[in-house]
Amino acid sequence: MSTSKNIVLINGSPKINEESVSGYLVSMLSDRIGADGGSKIIINVRQSLTHRQTQSDFDVISNADSVVIVFPLYIFCLPAMLTRFLEDYYHYYAGTGKTAGHQKVYAIVNCGFPEAEINTEAARVIQSFSRHINAQYRFSILIGSGGMLLGAKGAPFMKKALIKLQNAFDEIKNDSLNDGIQNLENVLINVNFPRRLYFFMGDRGFIHDAHKNGLKKKDMLRKPYQVNEPVNSVFMDNSI
Amino acid sequence: MKAYILSDKDYQDGIYSQLYELVTSNLTKKDFQIEHREIGRDELAFCKGCFGCWIKQPGECTIKDSMAEINNNFINSDVVVYLSPVIFGQFSANIKSAFDRWLPNILPFFMTRPDGSTMHPPRYLTYPKQIIIGYGEAISDEDAQLFIDITKKHRYNIEVLVFSGRDSDCTSFLNQTKLERVGGQL
Repeated sequence: MSTSKNIVLINGSPKINEESVSGYLVSMLSDRIGADGGSKIIINVRQSLTHRQTQSDFDVISNADSVVIVFPLYIFCLPAMLTRFLEDYYHYYAGTGKTAGHQKVYAIVNCGFPEAEINTEAARVIQSFSRHINAQYRFSILIGSGGMLLGAKGAPFMKKALIKLQNAFDEIKNDSLNDGIQNLENVLINVNFPRRLYFFMGDRGFIHDAHKNGLKKKDMLRKPYQVNEPVNSVFMDNSI
Repeated sequence: MKAYILSDKDYQDGIYSQLYELVTSNLTKKDFQIEHREIGRDELAFCKGCFGCWIKQPGECTIKDSMAEINNNFINSDVVVYLSPVIFGQFSANIKSAFDRWLPNILPFFMTRPDGSTMHPPRYLTYPKQIIIGYGEAISDEDAQLFIDITKKHRYNIEVLVFSGRDSDCTSFLNQTKLERVGGQL
């Protein structure tokens, strides 16, 4: 067991001012890692790109022993903003000629759909990225119903998922501090909550937010680019 | 019939030129009127996950840039072809930006598809046939399979090809794909 390691946590959420699930997960993981074992640096991808500080952030990442990339699923893979950051990092890496074979990479992916396994392909993208920078991809934590981590974190039905999440964070911590290499499997975290109720509450939430903006439900069904198409009556009934 | 081609301005190497020529000549022979849009770095803002396209300005992105024109052309085409370099087994950032900001074209609600998976419902009754062609030199088998899986495991009515330079792969793919608007699920 080595006791001095540099861990970099990358927050890949594209959100600007709103609280994000990825930011919350980074904060939770940072607390869980604690002060044990070495330095810990958090990089926010949006800030890095916006403030044009990618070069200094890339220097930090390239010197890390472990990198944890935390992000939301966008259209079944990485958000474009994180894709840009990793593309640019790859060009930086290729330009330096470094061999980062010792570096360990982990991913934490969350999605709004209930099925954690739909994050699998996004984790495979991080695995491919790791191969391209000659780093060691270790494993990913894949989370379904991610929004509930923020919206219902104190609810009793969240307890099992949160315990499993903390255990998975411990697995990242222990693996990143340990010099040994053992095969690790992805950890899937699903919230134990009725699917139909989750859909109902999600739909209600969108309608409520639209109402706050002065919109009725029928306004949400607008077709700005094909105005002559009839509205889909399935979504006009009272079940939503 | 109208075909809309979206490509990445920043990855236009020899294999891209070969692919572009194959696609346009195939579609021209089938009497498609082609419109081509290249997307370069910083041309499109990144989706910020605000859901304004669902709860503030339904069907339209609230970010004011050329994505409105792209989404309008998308919806009003019969076929849309994405030409993307394969980067880490995924789309390039420029093409992914167009995918992320395609979100206004679907509805916010949740639905269960026949295979039990979750999806958002379509906003429109019909959509253009979507074709995604990934390209690159020396794409690994893992990355090629991942590029296909990202779409085919999760989306309906979209065809995907990874092009490594053999003309016949692209031609037979386009000839076997029904090039017309499609209805049903996304």
